[in-house]
Amino acid sequence: MCSTDSSKDIVPTADSAMQQVYFLYSDHHDWLYSWLRHRLGNAADAADLAHDAFLRLIIKPAPRGFANFGEARAYLRTMAQGMCINLWHRREIERAWLDTLAAWPEALAPSPERQVMVLEALHEIGTMLLDLPPKAARAFLMAAACQMTDKEVAEALGVSSRMVRKYGFP
Amino acid sequence: MEQAAEWYALLRSGEATHDDHARWQSWLEHSSDHRLAWQYVETISRSFEPIHATPDPRQTADGLWAANSRVIQRRRILTSIVALAGTGLFGWATWRHTPLPGIVLAQMADHHTATGEQREVVLSDGTHVWLNTATALNEAYHASLRRLCLITGEILIDTATDPQRPFVVDTPQGRLRALGTRFTVRLESDKTFLGVYQGSVEITSAAGTSSLIQAGQQTRFTTDASAAVEPADSARETWSRGVLVAWDMTLGDVVKELRRYRSGYLGIAPEVAGLRVFGSFPLRDTDDTLTMLASALPIRIQRTLPWWVSIEARTDADPHR
Repeated sequence: MCSTDSSKDIVPTADSAMQQVYFLYSDHHDWLYSWLRHRLGNAADAADLAHDAFLRLIIKPAPRGFANFGEARAYLRTMAQGMCINLWHRREIERAWLDTLAAWPEALAPSPERQVMVLEALHEIGTMLLDLPPKAARAFLMAAACQMTDKEVAEALGVSSRMVRKYGFP
Repeated sequence: MEQAAEWYALLRSGEATHDDHARWQSWLEHSSDHRLAWQYVETISRSFEPIHATPDPRQTADGLWAANSRVIQRRRILTSIVALAGTGLFGWATWRHTPLPGIVLAQMADHHTATGEQREVVLSDGTHVWLNTATALNEAYHASLRRLCLITGEILIDTATDPQRPFVVDTPQGRLRALGTRFTVRLESDKTFLGVYQGSVEITSAAGTSSLIQAGQQTRFTTDASAAVEPADSARETWSRGVLVAWDMTLGDVVKELRRYRSGYLGIAPEVAGLRVFGSFPLRDTDDTLTMLASALPIRIQRTLPWWVSIEARTDADPHR
């Protein structure tokens, strides 16, 4: 945010920023929507995400703007990929959590507020783990979620505890 | 970071001796980097708490693992279809969700303080800036503009006059332009808090709306909306002198404030959270503050571990009164 580029010292006025987004929208919205619909296989989700993508550009414009058409498209596509993955991730985690809940006797089920908290925590942790090497992610998850010692994790994964310690914190 | 993780593993294992605790303490005291690393390790560990409270944490974690594996599969397919143009951005998008980048950004900042630390900085134009606990600030002075970027935390500014160069503070929510002033800026999760004590400050939010806040007023704003302007709480300014002034604050609010100055867990029992507190307390040593509170209020400070402290109601059976 704090670059030494002095041209950025001028706050973009609402007008020029809005105008940029408007041009981006008319150039790329239809393309983005069909790209998303193809990947998601669902028109409503695609429309939502396409809308979100432009909303994000209004709130937080690309750091250096776009030099040309191709650059804008590459940026939008990368952003859309991230959004697709995020959407799938949320749904997968929610599904897994509902399955887990269903496996417990009703008497043990946490309160609805608690359930929401767990879901939020699962999403946060899940997102963090997505970017770790799988083995390290697994070891860390076992240690932290199940409160297992390095030794117990090592036994469960069939590796040495020295290896588990090497994975360490993400 | 590795050391912090090792300490964490040791303290968690239940095999730590008194000596270990003492060595861990001095490791913490040794440098602010250590405290920052420890704070990071703790933040992550804390995010696991809701899972520990489920009937079967192992099963919950297995469900998460299965969900993540499925997503990784799909991600592989998605990203192999399209050429990976600009992987950097995607990496950044997920990276942003973890607390780590905040810490990395903070450590790379021009001026920063650790948790519990406060510092005064005098900038090249004579402007005074006080950094409160866990704060990071970048300085970008140019020929035509004096600009500060607040990355995290809270600052109090006493600007020097320079008619040629406006003075601004940028936050994720917008820009603050000082018109000869003393004011405080604090980042809250998705808001910027602004309190003006002298002169006035003009806010331009990221969405382009602007408003003028006069001396004696305070407000909060997000990227596109700003809350009502209210009278400035001048007690808020006293942190720059290392003092927390509580004037009819609830104990719950005092604790919330103290937490910003401490690493580790500081809990409070709900039955004492509503007690009213009057007085001024040292922020440089929050343990002292807790002791002072305990002598004035019917509460007891329970120190389970040096970094695990909770405030409970005092019962008659308590030995120390």
